[in-house]
Amino acid sequence: MSAAEPPKEPVKYVDATVRLPYRYVAGDYRATYLRALKDKTILGSRCARTGKVFVPPVVASPESFAPCEEFVEVADRGVVTTFCIVRIPVIGREIELPYVAASVALDGADISIYALIQECRPEDVRMGMRVAAVWKPDGERVGSWEDILHFRPTGEPDAAPATYLDRL
Amino acid sequence: MEFPYRHSTGETIGRFLAGLKEQKTIWGQRVAGLGVVVPPVGYSEVDGSPGGEWVAVRPTGTVTAVAKVRQPVAGLHPVDAPFAFVLVRLDGADTALAHVVTDDLDRLRVGARVEAVWRPDGERVGHLRDIATFRMVG
Repeated sequence: MSAAEPPKEPVKYVDATVRLPYRYVAGDYRATYLRALKDKTILGSRCARTGKVFVPPVVASPESFAPCEEFVEVADRGVVTTFCIVRIPVIGREIELPYVAASVALDGADISIYALIQECRPEDVRMGMRVAAVWKPDGERVGSWEDILHFRPTGEPDAAPATYLDRL
Repeated sequence: MEFPYRHSTGETIGRFLAGLKEQKTIWGQRVAGLGVVVPPVGYSEVDGSPGGEWVAVRPTGTVTAVAKVRQPVAGLHPVDAPFAFVLVRLDGADTALAHVVTDDLDRLRVGARVEAVWRPDGERVGHLRDIATFRMVG
């Protein structure tokens, strides 16, 4: 207490990390979808009017507004409809750069889901490439979208554009 | 979700924080029209004139406002157990400092007398929480 003034050398920075630990209520449809992931099953819902299958399942079609009350199982494999190569780190994502973020239309689904593509070189990823989900091992899946670790190429022949261009 | 902010302190708050870390002393500045301002901002919020001499204030003071948080959110609030945000007018200061009280919440009210609890030597980093908390006295 005897000093006449504070130290000449100021503290230059303060770290002030803000954390927002959200907890969402999944709701019936999303809960059903997440529970199924635990059993390596991906569910969609079918539009009563158009027959289109939405993944993850939606209560009503955003296109026709008709109810989508029927749950249907889609494949855990499909086709890359569009993608980008990520070369800039994102805080909170610790995937090795570069990596590929893709839209994948699963077989049996009429829209794409977001997917991480791994086990190949980013420059080898292309529209139409066939990919399959790589699941967490049995006993480690908890009913989360992270139960799918990533997608990897299957080596099958590429899909023709006409088969996926309306499922982006 | 996490936002890892790093704020630049500036000369005045930087020296205030250095005083906490190195001297265990809470410094204010004498400012025209306001008296002793803690924490100091380097100028008068009344007329914009520069902050004047540095003045050490006491680590004891009087609570002028209380907001009790019964159910803190881990990671968001500064304390994981029930606590209170308080404004403390330290003895020798003319403005109030925002801080926390972590114990004796049932007795805590406006007008309570409190005292700064310092983090130990070697654990102070130049942050407002180098004062770990304020505790009730008397």
